[in-house]
Amino acid sequence: MKEETKGEVKLWDAVPGYDFNEKIDVPEMRSYFHDGVHSVPRLTPMYSWFYGRANPVGSQYASETLSIPTCKGWSQKIKDGSTYVAMHIIQDKEEIDRRTAKFKEALIPWVEDFDGLWEGYKKELLGLYDNLKSLDLEKATNIDLLHHLWDMISTYRRMWEIHFLGMYTSMSALALIEEQVASFGLTSESPEFQNMFRGFDNKVFQVDKQMSEFAKAAVKSGLSDLFKDNKPEDVLSKLEESDAGRKWKKDFHEFLQEEGWRMVRMMDFNEPYWLEEPSAAISVIQTFVGKGADFDLDKVRSELIKGREKAIAELLQKVPGEEREWLRALINLGGKAGSYSEEHDLYCELYSHALIRRGLLGIGRRLVQAGTIDRPDDTLFLNPDEIEQVMLAPEFHKLQYIANRRRADWEQLRFKETPPVFTERADMNEAVGKDLLPSGDVIIIKLVVGEMPKAKPELKADIYGVCGAPGVAEGTARVIFTYEQLHEVQPGEILVCPGTNPAWTPIFGVVKGVVADRGGTLSHTAIVGREYQVPTIVNCFEGTEKIKTGMKIRVDATQGAIYILD
Amino acid sequence: MHSEKLIYWFDELGREHNGIVGKKCANLGEMVRMGLAVPPGFAIPIDMYRKFIKETGAKDEMSSYIKEFDETKDAGIQFFNEMSENLRGAIEKKEMLPSTRECITAYYTELCNKTGTENVAVSVRSAGTESRPGMFETYLNVSGIEEILVKIKKVWTSAFTPRAIAFRVNKGLAILEDELGVAVQKMLNARASGIAFTVNPVDGDASKITIEANWGLGEGVVSGEVSVDTFQVDKNTLELASKHTGNKRRGVFYTETGADWADVPAKKRRIPCIRDEEAVEIARVAKSVEETLEAPQDMEWAIDQDIDFPGNIFWLQTRPAKVAVKKVESASNHIADLLAKKFRGF
Repeated sequence: MKEETKGEVKLWDAVPGYDFNEKIDVPEMRSYFHDGVHSVPRLTPMYSWFYGRANPVGSQYASETLSIPTCKGWSQKIKDGSTYVAMHIIQDKEEIDRRTAKFKEALIPWVEDFDGLWEGYKKELLGLYDNLKSLDLEKATNIDLLHHLWDMISTYRRMWEIHFLGMYTSMSALALIEEQVASFGLTSESPEFQNMFRGFDNKVFQVDKQMSEFAKAAVKSGLSDLFKDNKPEDVLSKLEESDAGRKWKKDFHEFLQEEGWRMVRMMDFNEPYWLEEPSAAISVIQTFVGKGADFDLDKVRSELIKGREKAIAELLQKVPGEEREWLRALINLGGKAGSYSEEHDLYCELYSHALIRRGLLGIGRRLVQAGTIDRPDDTLFLNPDEIEQVMLAPEFHKLQYIANRRRADWEQLRFKETPPVFTERADMNEAVGKDLLPSGDVIIIKLVVGEMPKAKPELKADIYGVCGAPGVAEGTARVIFTYEQLHEVQPGEILVCPGTNPAWTPIFGVVKGVVADRGGTLSHTAIVGREYQVPTIVNCFEGTEKIKTGMKIRVDATQGAIYILD
Repeated sequence: MHSEKLIYWFDELGREHNGIVGKKCANLGEMVRMGLAVPPGFAIPIDMYRKFIKETGAKDEMSSYIKEFDETKDAGIQFFNEMSENLRGAIEKKEMLPSTRECITAYYTELCNKTGTENVAVSVRSAGTESRPGMFETYLNVSGIEEILVKIKKVWTSAFTPRAIAFRVNKGLAILEDELGVAVQKMLNARASGIAFTVNPVDGDASKITIEANWGLGEGVVSGEVSVDTFQVDKNTLELASKHTGNKRRGVFYTETGADWADVPAKKRRIPCIRDEEAVEIARVAKSVEETLEAPQDMEWAIDQDIDFPGNIFWLQTRPAKVAVKKVESASNHIADLLAKKFRGF
């Protein structure tokens, strides 16, 4: 194999049928776009297997169920742990007409009762998760573990189906609002616009609030120095040294039993979840302790709600009477949609990934006992077919030759760049214009691939990106690739990263500005940037490459311009 | 008496005769079939016009006249004026064919007998196969066969007003298109007339029937020039939901040989021109027509002052309500619509 690929070993031999083959795939679909939001750093082989297969099928399922007029979801391929998507764009006008009629019908229940539908799906997901949790991995037989593997796969497939039903409806609504509100003189970057969607309650906020309360409790119990002076992993053992510490730790552990099914890296299985490694959650508490006990999330929230109501009332004032009813309904839907965009990550990706990590490590421990692999997390470098082959008689098999090779390759390639697009078209812009925009697929256009930055030579900036949240910030850059490095960020710095996910949200309260390599105006980075009013630039492509930690930089997010001042 | 049917009473007609007698006549027939009170009258088919221009030679004259012009697309008003004068002249200077005259006279005489009125006053209206609201002539309060024959010819020539020609040229239609049928209908001694919309023309509200009314003939309402009385009747309960009395300063009334705008006497301006029970009865009938035709209607009615309620309400026209007005749809429908457009608009 090494000879065939000129020395470059492919990680994706883990995902048969989903490996990217430029010679075949590009002529078929014309353009494959890199999903830099979800596959940087590169994905482990096991995660590639789960995500690479279930995610595109989920998008197709939701497109068909909702009868999206212009697109049948996407096709996804994996290239050495990086994922690439190509849109199934419908060309036939009659088919588009037929789908449009059905689409409207399918959409009305979502417009009328987004929360109600999402509640139902949430319950379904939590039921599937409870089923996974109910298995005691250590007492399970090998048969139980094999069946658990299958359960994880089917749970994961269903999760992506539900995920995209919510995403297509909510993201389209947000994009529609941006467009509609423009006709009343508001741009999506104006504070008046953004104020309309702030301050909605959701699970992410509720958990953040509980975390801030734990921080306050720690300060009150005289533990603030303990949190400030120790590394996250040492905090827990230090807490054992006092009554107040033990009490705090016990309460916190109870909280994690409920809310700890939360990965620190959203899109892979290779980093721990809170319940598995509470120190990951401790670093968030440290962030809040650093802000002092007077940091009042509730107060912030109630101000946001007041601002929201004022902004909506002001807009509706400008609107002719007969337009008010639907615009009010649309803004309301937009609020739910914005809330979903944050909350769904908790119930979909972060939760399911935590449970699958738990299961894979459980299977891994059993395989280590049998001598089939060397480390429990070697299962992340296998695929389910390989595990299935050995699971009921593991002691007869050795899989180190596969797992070790793939792990070594992955470690070597993990942070390597990969091209933003493989295409037959002349360049990225033409590819976006012909093979992406006609899909009308808001998720890929405004979130995954994102809008393309426009170079503005008159600004003489060093890097150009897209405005995620307006404003200007100047400060010291901190380049961060993984959640593990996040504690290095100092208050007032400017975060430079590949992209963010909900585990990173609290850092927006610490930094002055954010620069992300990838992501569109509806990506997590942009949405949270607006929520926290932090100047944020997305899709600048080369931020982490050109900017080094310690450099002084100026971020003019409104203009999408980044200046390196050193 | 006749080897072929040349003229039709309204009650002999229906939608299927649209191509023979024109839309207005076919609709009047359809209204009679639905059981609406329609003033009696007869329809002069389009073929009668065709026969007239053919046998008098007017057709050849017109055809050879327009052959001189191959490019009419960018023509100005002067051009259309001149063409109109020539084409109309070709028709007007020809005498009615004796057979046509005889035939129309027979029907008019019978109409007089039916209504028990000598030289009964009629309206003479155009009836084309395509709807061209307000484009062709209508003559009101016409009495006596000689006047009627003159007015029928005038209706035919109204297909060649400068405006009508310009319209067809701009639409890419043939200049000699728009051959017209004619409706000859007994005039009512109308105390008041008006319109009934089964869907509100302003906000699209389909829960109420809106009635607009003025003293005199319907033309005093349709033109939209004066402040009129407005009634709204709940479509479900058929109860009067609202009533607004307009300041009706002018209306269209009979003159000795026709009808024209005239001032409404001062003391009548600010009193309602129809009674509440009449409004409700108009709404009841309008509702039933909407149900029968399964579409919102825009209807013209008139109240005859010589007859007692409820037999005094007559119907002159009904057509699908042009909801130039957008339909009121639910907010969620509207949003779903916008979302669909959004997908397609990328």
